[in-house]
Amino acid sequence: MKIIHKTVGTTLYIGLCGELDESTSGQTRAALDKLIEDFSSNKLVLDMSDLKFMDSTGVGVLLGRYKKLKAKGASLLIASPSPTVDKILTLSGIYDIMPKIV
Amino acid sequence: MDNFMNLTISAKSGNEAFARSVVAAFTAPLNPTVDEINDIKTAVSEAVTNCIVHAYGRDESGIIGIDAKIQGNTVHIAISDKGVGIKDIMQARQPFFTTKSEDEERSGLGFTVMETFMDSLIVEPNGEQGVVVTMTKAINHAED
Repeated sequence: MKIIHKTVGTTLYIGLCGELDESTSGQTRAALDKLIEDFSSNKLVLDMSDLKFMDSTGVGVLLGRYKKLKAKGASLLIASPSPTVDKILTLSGIYDIMPKIV
Repeated sequence: MDNFMNLTISAKSGNEAFARSVVAAFTAPLNPTVDEINDIKTAVSEAVTNCIVHAYGRDESGIIGIDAKIQGNTVHIAISDKGVGIKDIMQARQPFFTTKSEDEERSGLGFTVMETFMDSLIVEPNGEQGVVVTMTKAINHAED
């Protein structure tokens, strides 16, 4: 899993590149937490356009990060998931708390 | 074009990707759509992850069996372990149910994903120890 990030205005954009499953969840969780720790914006956008695969372990990772951001008063948005990632995110109901943007 | 495969892997995290890729490759002769192959890969990943995380509690000495067969246009996949088993299978299949603590951030959606992405799902004890998950999916564009 490769994780890239940039800040534009008050929004932090994080791109997930690779596959998010049990074997990559620990590394992904740690990298995101480091960015969230240093995070002083009010909105985080997770760009999933280069996320090739995700199973329900990834849903757990997202929910955990959502809780951390919520505690900081920040919102989390999901951008450009592939159809296969979108399917599992839709099934999980996660868009109710972290909306999808194009 | 009936066919079968049997694979045994260790319960080592990292083998999820290998397992789902192998089953996807095995299914490829049925000419599945991208959506169908992604459904199968996701379901296999969920089942193997369950073995690693729940059945064996991340003990890499555990063994996972992956048996698949193609009959007509349908792929049958059985993923088995000899781990701790599931105390209440009905309960475990409920969406968002997990035996893990909140700190572990499990979504509790593994069986829900398998059930949704595949045509059928059976979860049952694997003899006297462990669990076997059997799933099927018909490949609608397959040519016999």
